[in-house]
Amino acid sequence: MKIKKNVKGQMRVVETILASFIILFALAFVNMLAVTPSSLTYEATELEKIGHNVLHDLDEQRLLGRFIYPPYEWANLTAALMVSLPSDVYFDVTVYDSKDIVVNSVPIRYGDPEVFTKASMIASVSYGVPGYQTSYDPRILVLQLVRG
Amino acid sequence: MRVMKHRKGQFIILAVLMIAVMMVSLGAVLYSAVTYYKRERWEEYLGIIDHVKIGCYRLAEISLANYTLTNNTNILRDNFIRWQSDLKKVYPGFGIILNYSLTEGLHYVYGENIMYNLGLASRWHSNSSFSAANVTFTMNITSVGLTGYKFKASAFLQVKLLEAVYVDSKKKTWTILLTVDREELMPVTNLQKASFSVSLNNQSKDFSFSRYYNSTYSSFVYQLLCSNTQSPPTSTMVNVTDSRGIKVVASYPPT
Repeated sequence: MKIKKNVKGQMRVVETILASFIILFALAFVNMLAVTPSSLTYEATELEKIGHNVLHDLDEQRLLGRFIYPPYEWANLTAALMVSLPSDVYFDVTVYDSKDIVVNSVPIRYGDPEVFTKASMIASVSYGVPGYQTSYDPRILVLQLVRG
Repeated sequence: MRVMKHRKGQFIILAVLMIAVMMVSLGAVLYSAVTYYKRERWEEYLGIIDHVKIGCYRLAEISLANYTLTNNTNILRDNFIRWQSDLKKVYPGFGIILNYSLTEGLHYVYGENIMYNLGLASRWHSNSSFSAANVTFTMNITSVGLTGYKFKASAFLQVKLLEAVYVDSKKKTWTILLTVDREELMPVTNLQKASFSVSLNNQSKDFSFSRYYNSTYSSFVYQLLCSNTQSPPTSTMVNVTDSRGIKVVASYPPT
């Protein structure tokens, strides 16, 4: 009788431990699926959204064309992006022409180049500008963003 | 008795397993419900639609500016053909297909009867002169199943010579008053002196320049003063080029 009661108690402990493991496993699995504001997926989308909006605003104000066509204003483009983006967001812009040749002779960047090489997640946005003034001469801007 | 106790234990394990399965299922359902829009990157797609639209507006302006300089009526069509293929390079993987329809024939737009040819039109050497471009687009983004998204891109610049008056005083001034409007008849207020040139009797003439709101015309006007004009000219021609490079030439019969 004494032994039987003991076995019953042990079984309950084992069951509880097993149940706890199952619930913990289930919670961990659910958490893995969730896209919380701190997760990398969410952060990339947010940065891409910011990047899209900034380039769109500059284009709407007719500044983007002035910056990326001769006489180039790379310094002004860098300054405009620095002002428009949050201070903890680093960026690197590369401007290509229609033949995929890099147009910008100087880096258009805010932040150490190492930030981009070491970053676990880089948001990338591409933006097309068809031309400027009277000539069709497309440019493709690739904006990379990293939160510092 | 022993067997029954054993079954009770199994039941707890089974119950917990069922609860775990329910939690995972509920989590998966909630995840797909909450993050549906995130996973589909709707905001990115909306952003791309905006980019394509603004690119098309710019292209209409560039083509119209080129047309007013070169009189090449095919420029709008040629530019859009190139833009159609270049868009695929700009946004690879999205499956963007852009179709266009150039406006043709007579249309009443912005208070003017405009005769379009391959999406372009101009009426110069009138006291109400203009240059115009108009295209309708249909955009598909095959990666998200978006089809038939329609929008219009138009570019327009109108110059109206309101009056040209000769003041026979010491300075002998020929005063020209004009308005410059763009799409939706929005006044263009940022033009500088370099945007204008004046010819009197087909000869280039220097002028002084001012801009202000005129209550008589209830409009923002540009005033061009050609001093030392010995007599009222028989023809006045004003050439206006806006910041987009679109040109209009307006003429006024002297009174």
